Amino acid sequence: MSFLVPLFLIGLAGVAIPIAIHLTRRQRRNVVRFPSLMFLEKIPYQEQRRRRVQHWFLLLLRALALALIVFAFARPFLDRSDLVAGTATGPREVVLLVDRSYSMEIGDRLERARAETADVLAGMGPLDRASLVAFDRNATVLVRSTTDRARLLSVLDTVVAGSDVTRFGPALRVAQTILEESELPNGAVYLLSDFQRTGWAADEGVGLPAGSEFVPVALGDAAPENVQIAGLSLPRSVDAGRERVTPTVRLVRRGGSEPIEVPVTLEIDGQPIGTETVELGGEGAATAVFPPVTVSRPHTRGTVLIPTDAVPADDRRHFVLSPGSVLPIRVVGAPGGGEDPNLYLERALGISQDGRFEVTARRGNGLAASDTEGVSVLVLNDVRIDGGAAERLRAFVEEGGGLLVAMGENAAWPASALDLLPGAPGAPRDREAGRGARLGQLAYDHPIFEAFSGPRSGDFGNARFFRARDVTVSDSAQVLARFDDGSVALAERTLGRGRVLLWTSTLDGFWNDLALQPVYLPFVHRIAEHLAGRTEAQQAFTVGQVLDLADPRALEAAGLVSSAAEGLTEGAEQVALTPSGAGVRIPADAETRYLTLTERGFYTIRPPGAEPDRPFVVAVNVDVEESDLERIEPDDVALQVRAVTSSAEGDGSRPAGAEMLVREDQERRQSLWRWILAAALGLLIMETVLSNWVSRRSTMASRTTEA
Amino acid sequence: MTARARTAGGGARFLDPGVLARIGNLELLARTVVDGFLTGLHRSPYLGFSTDFAEHRAYMPGDDVRRIDWRLFARTDRHYIKLFEAETNANVSILLDVSRSMSYGSHEVTKLDYGRYLAACLGYLSNRQRDRVGLVTFDHELVEYLPPSMRTPDTMLHLLDRVDPGRPGELAPPLLRATELLGRKGIVMLVSDLYENPEDVLAAVGPLRARGHDVIVFHVLDPMELEFSFEGASGFEDLETGEQIPVVPERVKAGYRRLMDEHLETLAKRFSDNRIDYLLLDSSKPLDDALFRYLLARERMRTAR
Repeated sequence: MSFLVPLFLIGLAGVAIPIAIHLTRRQRRNVVRFPSLMFLEKIPYQEQRRRRVQHWFLLLLRALALALIVFAFARPFLDRSDLVAGTATGPREVVLLVDRSYSMEIGDRLERARAETADVLAGMGPLDRASLVAFDRNATVLVRSTTDRARLLSVLDTVVAGSDVTRFGPALRVAQTILEESELPNGAVYLLSDFQRTGWAADEGVGLPAGSEFVPVALGDAAPENVQIAGLSLPRSVDAGRERVTPTVRLVRRGGSEPIEVPVTLEIDGQPIGTETVELGGEGAATAVFPPVTVSRPHTRGTVLIPTDAVPADDRRHFVLSPGSVLPIRVVGAPGGGEDPNLYLERALGISQDGRFEVTARRGNGLAASDTEGVSVLVLNDVRIDGGAAERLRAFVEEGGGLLVAMGENAAWPASALDLLPGAPGAPRDREAGRGARLGQLAYDHPIFEAFSGPRSGDFGNARFFRARDVTVSDSAQVLARFDDGSVALAERTLGRGRVLLWTSTLDGFWNDLALQPVYLPFVHRIAEHLAGRTEAQQAFTVGQVLDLADPRALEAAGLVSSAAEGLTEGAEQVALTPSGAGVRIPADAETRYLTLTERGFYTIRPPGAEPDRPFVVAVNVDVEESDLERIEPDDVALQVRAVTSSAEGDGSRPAGAEMLVREDQERRQSLWRWILAAALGLLIMETVLSNWVSRRSTMASRTTEA
Repeated sequence: MTARARTAGGGARFLDPGVLARIGNLELLARTVVDGFLTGLHRSPYLGFSTDFAEHRAYMPGDDVRRIDWRLFARTDRHYIKLFEAETNANVSILLDVSRSMSYGSHEVTKLDYGRYLAACLGYLSNRQRDRVGLVTFDHELVEYLPPSMRTPDTMLHLLDRVDPGRPGELAPPLLRATELLGRKGIVMLVSDLYENPEDVLAAVGPLRARGHDVIVFHVLDPMELEFSFEGASGFEDLETGEQIPVVPERVKAGYRRLMDEHLETLAKRFSDNRIDYLLLDSSKPLDDALFRYLLARERMRTAR
């Protein structure tokens, strides 16, 4: 028997109180003030009487009740630390990390995970606590630090394989946090997974606390043979005025040796419209190309699928298509009888498979009324502009139009409208030093140059510039490109809802040879798209991505055709129907309207209660990285986790605080103080009844004597 | 006959002490008690017997026939009584014990209250009898001394009003001092609870008697002091010394009453032996017995002269 608060035992001295009362002051219940004790003092009777215990049993009851109360306050418990130490080294904080990535769908991996978890729970000591964490890319704590085995098992039954990829880092960090916050002296982390190599980065930086044990439990056997849809491209083309896409599917086969034939089926809006069969050798890849499909309706759902195999998640690939919009572009070139300054530009914009740009061009100074009507982008290619035209341009830009001004030899701009441009253009200056100027500094974070930021994505450095205008850039403007001498090549400013770009050289081959470079075509395409405010629609998302429904640009990028999605861009309340059929409410006017895409398939977003004909649909596919079933050795993970652990380990002895917590835990579980207090209460009740009875009896006896 | 049997009791009584306690004004209280008491007497004892003629008054039944002026009867054929100016013929001193033990009271009137009422009534009555009245209050020493005088009643009542029973008491020293102060012989009335051995009490009172005073001892006790009808074990605390002893009243009652009876009997016997008038007063009983004792004493003094 031990006591949690032994200091309270000092109170046992209080047992002497009833004894003292019995022996010394038993008859002195109240004080009567009397004029003189001269007669009472002459009666010798009380002296002997008050020093003799009359009711031993009552005295015993009172002393016992008091002692029990003191014991209860001292919080007694039966110390079973030795028993606990015999089975383990004290109570443990067990963290069970259960993989729920989609690779766990293979075979009976999840069932095995459940069985192994149940085994671990069964082997836990009576004082051990366990936490259950399910993880894929993220880790979710399902049950935190409990001794309730039944609850853990019931929650474990609800764990199902999801659609996301394996990442060990977040899960191990959650385990680390749980162990660090735990009061128990020992810890154990059980990692139940199929241990895909893609889930482990060597520099996870996980460090379990001292005294913690890491136990990897590998669930997967040898990687099964798997055919996956590794990629899907949907190139657009315009044929006879109709927009068409040609689905091209890339298949990869992992494992196997004999060639097999794989039928690939294309479904549009749920209806199979064609099947292509490809032959795949062992560890081989193949491409299936479907006949062009006409895209006529917005938010058209498409799925490419192959027969289900060991990994079902990568046997389907979803996409959403909407008819693309044509961008009307007006090019006004400098007049004159020489070489057409619009030639390169017109040709470059005219070359697009999907016919995105509708270019009309004319030559001549000034601005005709038709130049700004019905166009999204206006290019003033070395044109003289007067004050009136400048004001019309201002109105055009403020209403959302895009304006590209190329300042060549002929160009002139009225001084009254200089604020319309990103800067005041100066006189042309020859760049004859060396072999002409080059573009030296580009804003790769800007949408125009973003596409060229990667290696081998277009080289502007080969273009030479022999002449350009100097520009004094205004404060509200942003310089997007500079020549290697630091002077401005391309600057931008926004005005109202539109944008103005100032190109300080020509767009033909007169002042530079950019038009002759391969980068010219994508460059002017990007400029046109940027000026029109158009972004490429995303045909499919990957599980784990987040869609910001409050951002119109993000919605446009997600392929939203605003005419078909009622109230979405206005921030009205919406309901997102997940592929599994669950509804996610997206309240109106909320500042954050994020939709986390956690399942593979189609998310349908529509106003609550409405059944629109073509609702906004987002296609979500799994990350094919998870289909790479190559395993990392569990011991390697264990070694790396332990390596971090050992560096942070102390002397391994149980801390004094933990010892106290073990004692507290035992006391709390046993709660002996409740029973002891109940016993004390019973004794006190018995004492009350008895003493009343004794008192009545003695009073009656005294009256009888007196009579 | 026990001492208790001699306490006042029976017959028509004047106002009960409990009722008197509600009369805040001591003078009014004394007037009420004394007037009521005198009205009940058959004789009018309060006219003085001096030689200074005052006036004649028609004879009324009950008047002493010896006081009829026969000469006037001879002339007028009617009975007239000769009235004389009463003379001041006695010093009356009231010695009131104001020790702490007197503050005890098991009912609404403490012994000290009772003593104060008694002193006030005696003072008032004496004043009406044309006696000089004085007051001495004491505990273990003399507290206040008001020499006997004809003009003292108001002062005396005022003193009685503000007595404070705060200190322990002892008879011998203050009574010895009083003996020295009270020069002329007179009536000395001692009001006390006499919690001392009878020998000590007598030793304290004796000198007064030896000086020729007519001494009346009013022994005031509370009914609980006489009966000791307490119930339940208690600690009994001495009011004067603060000493406490545990007592089971049911068990000590008999012994206490026996001791108290012995004490009272001894006192009565010793006082009687020394020709000191002794009267035991129960503080729950009316005052008239005490007043009657005073009149008897005064009468005795008159006849003795």
